[in-house]
Amino acid sequence: MWSYEKRLQFPVKIKKTCPKTAQLIISQYGGPDGELSASMRYLAQRYSMPVKKVGGLLTDIGTEEINHMEIICAMVYQLTKNLTPEEVKTAGFDAYYIDHTTGLWPQAAAGVPFTSLEFQSKGDAMADLYEDLAAEQKARTVYDNLLRVIDDPDVRAPLKFLRAREIVHFQRFGEALEMTKEKMDSKNFYYFNPEFDKTMYKQEL
Amino acid sequence: MDDTNLCTCPEILAMASVPRQNWCEPYDYETSLKEGTLFPCLNLPFYKAEEGDSNLKSTSIASSPEETQRESLMSKLSAISFAINDLTLYLDTHPDCPKGLPLFKELLQKRLELLTEYADQYYPLTQISMITGNKDCNCYGWGEGPAPWEGGLI
Repeated sequence: MWSYEKRLQFPVKIKKTCPKTAQLIISQYGGPDGELSASMRYLAQRYSMPVKKVGGLLTDIGTEEINHMEIICAMVYQLTKNLTPEEVKTAGFDAYYIDHTTGLWPQAAAGVPFTSLEFQSKGDAMADLYEDLAAEQKARTVYDNLLRVIDDPDVRAPLKFLRAREIVHFQRFGEALEMTKEKMDSKNFYYFNPEFDKTMYKQEL
Repeated sequence: MDDTNLCTCPEILAMASVPRQNWCEPYDYETSLKEGTLFPCLNLPFYKAEEGDSNLKSTSIASSPEETQRESLMSKLSAISFAINDLTLYLDTHPDCPKGLPLFKELLQKRLELLTEYADQYYPLTQISMITGNKDCNCYGWGEGPAPWEGGLI
């Protein structure tokens, strides 16, 4: 189960309203490589992971991604909190405003709604861990791209933090891959699926 | 044995591998939070993120001495809590590390103390700090203090 703590993992203290920046950053809420997608991916994959410690890691990283989703939402919220009627019309936030005013709704920067098609849960440890490694890389690229175009230091500080987390998570998923490999036949890692062919794989309980 | 048909590739094919991280001396906790990792060896910044950000520290928006104090305690709590977050993932893949585990326990203790101090002086951040902090306080949940997404300050 989860419980809430009344603070952000990384502080967000944005002083300047900027709906254009909000419209870009919202992609990390509901976009293809966003934090919501990351969280749902790991928390979905963990149940059938053959190595218990890898299921644990997926739980912990999946939980951290929810913290990141909250950071992103706080950024979008603060960037649009004091939006003036004039800024609604001119600052590139008009289409979003019509549907959601300044409420938070998970979508990609280009307006595509959040969908579970953005991630996979394949029921195969190798396939899932490679997906997770790739997901961290793709999210890093999004943060790189955001850092290229956003100048406000109040926005850059949390973006830098979130980018750094992608690299740490990549490393941990890499270690999880090694832990899974140790339990398999190194002559042919693809001889069976450890999540399905349970008689061939000695599961820890 | 005739091994002329055996593959002589030195490595396992069709399988990637990522080297395991060795323990490396952690940053101080404030730096860890700022850099996004406890471990200097995993801090691999992007060149565009370096530009003009040499003093990239979250600036305060506190408007009174009371807010400044509260913000300072919150910063301490955030730094310690983040060190725990990062160490958690390290221990997930290095559960037997003789350096990581004692540090983890030390940090958990510090965090408990800071949560208690925060609840004592301001308001509880977690349900359990309603009883570890000031027991005379009749604070319950969402009525006290700013929502986290307001930036910790209103």
